[in-house]
Amino acid sequence: MRYVKLPNENFEEFFNSLKNWGNIYAPTKQGKIYSFRKVETLSEVSLDYNRTMLPPKKFFIKPRDEMLKLKDNKWEECIEVEKIVLFGVHSCDIHGLQILDKVYLEEPVDPYYKKRRENSIIVGISCMPDEYCFCKSLGTDFAMSGFDLFLHELPDGWLVRVGSVKGHEIAWANEELFEEITEEDLKNFRAFEEKRAKAFKKKLNKEGLADMLDLAYDSPVWKKYEKICLGCGNCNMVCPTCRCYEVCDRWINAYEAVRERRYDSCFMASHGLVAGGHNFRPTRLDRFRHRYYCKNYFDPEAGFNCVGCGRCDEFCPAKIEHVKVLDEVREALE
Amino acid sequence: MSENENTFQTHDVRILEVKDLTPREKLFTLRFTDPEVSRGFKYKPGQFVIVDIRGFGEFPISICSTPTREGYFQLCVRKAGRMTRYMHELKEGDIIGIRGPYGNGFPMDMMEGSNLVLVAGGLGMAPLRSVLWYALDSGKYEHIYLFYGTKSYEDILFRDEITHLLKHGEAMNCTVKLAYEVESPSCIYLEKGYAPKVCKGVVTDLFRGEEFDITNTYALICGPPVMYKFVIKELLDRRLSPGRIYMTLERRMRCGVGKCGHCIVGTSTSIKYVCKDGPVFTYWDALSTRGLI
Repeated sequence: MRYVKLPNENFEEFFNSLKNWGNIYAPTKQGKIYSFRKVETLSEVSLDYNRTMLPPKKFFIKPRDEMLKLKDNKWEECIEVEKIVLFGVHSCDIHGLQILDKVYLEEPVDPYYKKRRENSIIVGISCMPDEYCFCKSLGTDFAMSGFDLFLHELPDGWLVRVGSVKGHEIAWANEELFEEITEEDLKNFRAFEEKRAKAFKKKLNKEGLADMLDLAYDSPVWKKYEKICLGCGNCNMVCPTCRCYEVCDRWINAYEAVRERRYDSCFMASHGLVAGGHNFRPTRLDRFRHRYYCKNYFDPEAGFNCVGCGRCDEFCPAKIEHVKVLDEVREALE
Repeated sequence: MSENENTFQTHDVRILEVKDLTPREKLFTLRFTDPEVSRGFKYKPGQFVIVDIRGFGEFPISICSTPTREGYFQLCVRKAGRMTRYMHELKEGDIIGIRGPYGNGFPMDMMEGSNLVLVAGGLGMAPLRSVLWYALDSGKYEHIYLFYGTKSYEDILFRDEITHLLKHGEAMNCTVKLAYEVESPSCIYLEKGYAPKVCKGVVTDLFRGEEFDITNTYALICGPPVMYKFVIKELLDRRLSPGRIYMTLERRMRCGVGKCGHCIVGTSTSIKYVCKDGPVFTYWDALSTRGLI
């Protein structure tokens, strides 16, 4: 990994230079929540945000996404690509994007996701956990890849990790803004990481999690949460790795139609429904359990499907907590 | 298909023939309008395609013809929902879109030289018809049994073919047996002369009196979800290994290529996409992945 230092006084100039690479989207405060929005100046950006409501997946798989356009009974591909710089992405979300990469870039490649991914630059930023974060338990608290540049807070500037050739080119183009790092900077970097590691309040017991959950298929805890859960699907929408989508054809006028996909949620009764009326997940218990199984499936290549960002906890209207559910399931089993 | 083609683009097919099989099911014979696409379309029994009625939507459906007969392929479509209702309104000469084939299909090569026991229930006959004709055309299989259970005589799909095999199948090493749950006056056509091969009852009744060499037999099952439990019990009672029992499954599917997430089944220890890891699974897969059946 290549490290450089960006002193505070050059930060704004560096930020403005990113516009040469695309439109900048960064976390901004919107009422009580944060959201990735298009920004023009650094002052609009909330550098110390905890989490945005929608994860960066919204730039690659849009909530409503036009795939094909019907003209003369032929589908034409519609891919609008915008060159973007995603500024200020936390490491959990970078991990989330890598999990999506595994799904969407695996053969057969999803052309929409791929084009957008190729036209994006990811600039990560260090963060301090709040009461919902448990990324450390899942090992997603530090990104080793999946970004172009990663900014780590230092008392007098930023320690920048360069994660890709593109990132290198960006740093190269702004050579005069960067300095070489010193021993002092590395010490500060380590001190920050140590402080951060101690700041985690929530912990997930990962030990034998997959096996434990599989054994708890008939656990009474699922029955308890079936009654608490509202089945609204908020957790799916805000999850950085939830990616189910529904497809429908929509007529724009009498001659043109578009094939659109939009986010779907496994909490909807229609998610397991097939023609003829059979439902493979007919009850809320089935659907609630299904989400926990899907998130906590351990893929030897990709790890867990959950990155511990804490969004599903924060935005659950019934205040269901992911880690608490798993702990209760484990407890009921012992 | 070319390299740079959009995964979700569909190819034009012309409907060559529409045949009523029952009041609910129609058989569509299709051919790609582009001869090159037609030549490149290679499929295995048990695979499925996504049918695209442009401007209305897409739906997955299994191929019911055999790859041994080239130049066309067939889909058996039951009028069961919104999309299939549109499909049923289509006429000969109409053009629709197809993408695929998708899924793993049955391991036909691996099963060569063995006995095949095909167990079909209702519409489950569609994908198994592909296997049946593939096996008969290739002649590489020891003996083929087809146990087919339907609601009534009127619901038997591919009735001409099935009754033909009922009469003359033995000459091709093929034993066909039929079970129907509801008696109707037309059953008389079947019972005359075929009494032991045709009976009133359910599909598991047809196993009675049949002996298989379990070391050289594969069972292939397709039917409504409720049927699997009973058929598998029957097969396990005969000590047929779970690895020799193949089932093809249905789920809601939107993409067919493992992206849209609807067909995900399983638990934290094993997750399967029915569209790309299946739709053909062994019973062993079902034992190790909860929720498959």
